[in-house]
Amino acid sequence: MKRERKWHNILPLGDLVSGDVTPARLGRLDLAVYDTEEGVFVSLARCTHQGANLCYGYFDGFAIECPLHQGLFDVRTGKPLAAPATRKLRMLDCRIADGMVQVLR
Amino acid sequence: MNDEVLTPISQAMKEGVITRAELRQLMRRSNFAGFLHLLKFIVVLAITGTLVIVSFDTLWLIPAMFAHGIIVVHHFSLQHECCHYTPFRSRWLNEVVGNYCGFLLVIPNKYFRYEHCNHHTFTQQKGYDPELIELPISLSRYLWYLSSIPYWYAQFEALIRHVFGRISKSEEEFIPVEERRAVIVEARTYFALYLLIIAGSVALDWWGALWLWWIPMFLGEPVMRAIRMTEHVGRPNVTDMKENTRTNLVTRPMRLLCWNMNYHAEHHYASSVPFHALPDLHRRLTGFVHVEKRGYLGAHIDIISQIVGRTPRADATGSEA
Repeated sequence: MKRERKWHNILPLGDLVSGDVTPARLGRLDLAVYDTEEGVFVSLARCTHQGANLCYGYFDGFAIECPLHQGLFDVRTGKPLAAPATRKLRMLDCRIADGMVQVLR
Repeated sequence: MNDEVLTPISQAMKEGVITRAELRQLMRRSNFAGFLHLLKFIVVLAITGTLVIVSFDTLWLIPAMFAHGIIVVHHFSLQHECCHYTPFRSRWLNEVVGNYCGFLLVIPNKYFRYEHCNHHTFTQQKGYDPELIELPISLSRYLWYLSSIPYWYAQFEALIRHVFGRISKSEEEFIPVEERRAVIVEARTYFALYLLIIAGSVALDWWGALWLWWIPMFLGEPVMRAIRMTEHVGRPNVTDMKENTRTNLVTRPMRLLCWNMNYHAEHHYASSVPFHALPDLHRRLTGFVHVEKRGYLGAHIDIISQIVGRTPRADATGSEA
């Protein structure tokens, strides 16, 4: 039976670092929350290349760079933008509600 | 999912060595800083190249080509920075300059990027780090490595093998399946351009590439081998960045040539930090990385002391992998 998806609080809006990436957790999942000019986006925090934590990487407005090998991803879509990243980031549906960043899962 | 993939920078931040805000500031890229450093590098290259030209038909030609070769092989330091996308803010500039340097040095850029990725993931771990240089077992093996003969054999063997479309088992470990075709195409492109330059030189009977590029590069490569040895050789085969990498304090001219890559332990801690911010990162990481204050010479004294048995061999600690 398919589990019904619901919204989960992952980060108080006040803890979101303006214009940067902020780490968050949902159960056992490490998440990366990105504050961009186009709004907030959330992805799994692990690089799809070799699993480094993207929350330690350089964030330049809309692209997050892996801190280990400098693979680059568009945080709005998860699309890999530069080698060695070749596979998309797993993005999560997110919203701001009740002063919290929430993800649908 | 929550098993931490420990990267050097996560190690530093967990130990409270550096904050996220400081790191973000250090990771900023700058086209201006990249171009300014490149301009200085080109000026030095032009000076040594001119020395080669004016010393033609004199006994000074060999020393001039050797000096020029030392500068030529330092294109590797720039290529290395470019593979981390750090000397220039614009990513395409890093690709263009990285490929130029790689072509010059017979180090195909895409191939090098993937190989170098695993060097950063598995630094000093025997059987996993594709760039690991073993601590030589004897002085003769030490000199054999410095001769650059094994290095050039490996470089040309890989290039020719890729031209023929073959990826080795060990390369399959670090070149993603979807990129193997691109690595082969890259090798074929480089190889075709080398043949074109040779054919052009023969047709025009102009041997500038030989005197200003190939002979100096082969003469200078032992110096680059000696410098590359100082980064990890003689350090233990462990995963701890405080132990497995050596930073060498060198003079300002050497730092210019090597694009600050003498701060090698700092680079491994945070490879997204561009060359121009590495001295700053070095100050912040004081006490958290292994520093050889006597520079490259001191590193080789350390290496030779281990080879001849005056000090314990660092590789006796074994690999953690």
